[in-house]
Amino acid sequence: MKESLMDVICCPIDKSDLELTVDERDDEEIIAGTLTCTECGETYPIEDGIPNLLPPDMRDEATA
Amino acid sequence: MGGDNHEHADSTTASVRATYDRIADHFATTREHPWPEVVQFVEREASRRGGSLGRAIDIGCANGRHTELLADHGADPVGIDVSRALLRAGQRRAADREFCASWVCGDAARLPIAENTASIAIYVATLHHLRPRSARIGSLDELARVLTPGGRALVSAWSIEHDRFDATAAFDTTVEWTLPGGETVPRFYHIYSPAEFREDLAQSALDAIDVEISSGNCYATVAVGDASPGEM
Repeated sequence: MKESLMDVICCPIDKSDLELTVDERDDEEIIAGTLTCTECGETYPIEDGIPNLLPPDMRDEATA
Repeated sequence: MGGDNHEHADSTTASVRATYDRIADHFATTREHPWPEVVQFVEREASRRGGSLGRAIDIGCANGRHTELLADHGADPVGIDVSRALLRAGQRRAADREFCASWVCGDAARLPIAENTASIAIYVATLHHLRPRSARIGSLDELARVLTPGGRALVSAWSIEHDRFDATAAFDTTVEWTLPGGETVPRFYHIYSPAEFREDLAQSALDAIDVEISSGNCYATVAVGDASPGEM
């Protein structure tokens, strides 16, 4: 994902802003990192450039 | 319907995700071209706004065929899907066909998108995978939340008007997806009657500007805060 996407995405639960931590970057593209809700503190992973913003109750069952 | 509707919605959406993660590669190869109704909507919006579509979201984007359509018409699209495997297919499509898009894994009933963000949105062939009804109406409210005032969205769902159905009222069903090896994977569908489709829109925060039946699907062009929807 590009950093400009931060203006678009939010926490799926309380719709608050997210804070970005980058672990891996390829030019402008953020490949891996973490998004943390500034309100509830829930964390959402960025994997292969795709932020996983599924609510935690759906994400935990992920097998893919 | 008891008080556990929300829990039910969660587990159902999770199973929809698991299903599409499983059939993603095969599904993507059979979903190559944009739907004519969606092409028509995007072209009409592009001409209504003089070509500048701005930020777009494609809810239930799957492999991104309509995300690509939005990008081709000058929008800055975000494709959202519950299935990570389908989003990967979208990423590959964008790389192969050289269009720009962002991809987000998310739930249509609880969108991870800030309010007043999208000036155009596409929410086709996805609403019918949600249950119960409160989750479907809730997802329409979510669409209203993220749409900018004056923005437009196209919503579609499978309808009893389709040739394969005999029913005269809306119903829940399971439609199997057959993988190349012959294995079948079940998918939940709520098949809408045109009357119920209109009713769900009316109960949501969206304003329906135009509702029609085409190719066995219910389609609605919707907006938020349109004082006079008839003027379009």
